Amino acid sequence: MGLAAISETASLLLLGIGLVFWFWGTWPLLETSSYARKLHALSVADTLGSALMLLGLLLRIPRQWPLLTLGLLALMLWNTIFGYVLATCSQPRRRPTGLSRNPQEEPR
Amino acid sequence: MRRLLPLLLSTSFRLLLWCLLTADLSRLNLLIGVAVALALPRARSRPLPLRELLRALWLSLVAVPRAYGEALRLMVASDLEERMVREPVTDRTIPLLMFLDVFRITLTPFTIALGLEPDGQHYRVHALLPRRQTLRPPAEETP
Repeated sequence: MGLAAISETASLLLLGIGLVFWFWGTWPLLETSSYARKLHALSVADTLGSALMLLGLLLRIPRQWPLLTLGLLALMLWNTIFGYVLATCSQPRRRPTGLSRNPQEEPR
Repeated sequence: MRRLLPLLLSTSFRLLLWCLLTADLSRLNLLIGVAVALALPRARSRPLPLRELLRALWLSLVAVPRAYGEALRLMVASDLEERMVREPVTDRTIPLLMFLDVFRITLTPFTIALGLEPDGQHYRVHALLPRRQTLRPPAEETP
C-alpha cells in the first residue's frame, strides 16, 4: 500500500468522523434541551468536527496547505469565541461590583 | 524586551496570517506584509509576562487533544448533568491572557465560559459532564 493510498484512506476517515461529529452536534438543536446544552453540543460539531474535515482536506489537497491552515486556525478561534459570546449573551445582564458609575441608580 | 513583546507578537502573528493568505514568500510580499502588520492599529497593552504567556499558550495547545477526548466521552455518555463551576482567572489586566483563558475553557466541549464572577477573580463556567457514579441512592422525587 503506497503513501498515496494511506493518505487517501486517512483523509476519508477524517472526513467521515468530522461528518459524524457534525450530525451528533447538530441534532440537539432540534430537541428541547437547554440552550447551554445545545452550545456544548455545537462546540463538538462546529469546532472539532469542522477541524477534522479540514485536516482531511489537507491530506487530500496538500498543495493548498496555506489556505487550509489559515481556515483551520480561523475556524478554531472564531467558533470558540462565538460560542463564548452566545453563551455570555444568553445570561441575564449582571452588573460587576465596583464598576457601576452611579450607585444610586435604581435597578430596572 | 517585555515592553517590546506585545508589538513583536502582534506583528509576527499578522505577518503569519498575511503569508498564509498570500502563499508567497518573495521579498517584496514579505515587505508589504510587514508594512501592513505595522500599519494596522494595535491595542495598548501592559508589558506581557513571558512565563504566564507561554504557560497560557501551552495550555491552549494541550486543550485541543483534550477537547477531542471530551467530545468522545460526551458522545458515549448516556446521562449528563449540568453544573456551574468556577475557574480562576490568570491575569485580569492583560487582555491576551484572558482571551487565551476563555479560548481554553470554551474549546473543550465539557465547559463554556460565561463571563466573570462578581469578584473578578473567577470565571463563571457552565459545565456539562457525564453524571458521576454515586453510591447513595437517588433522592426521592416528589410527584
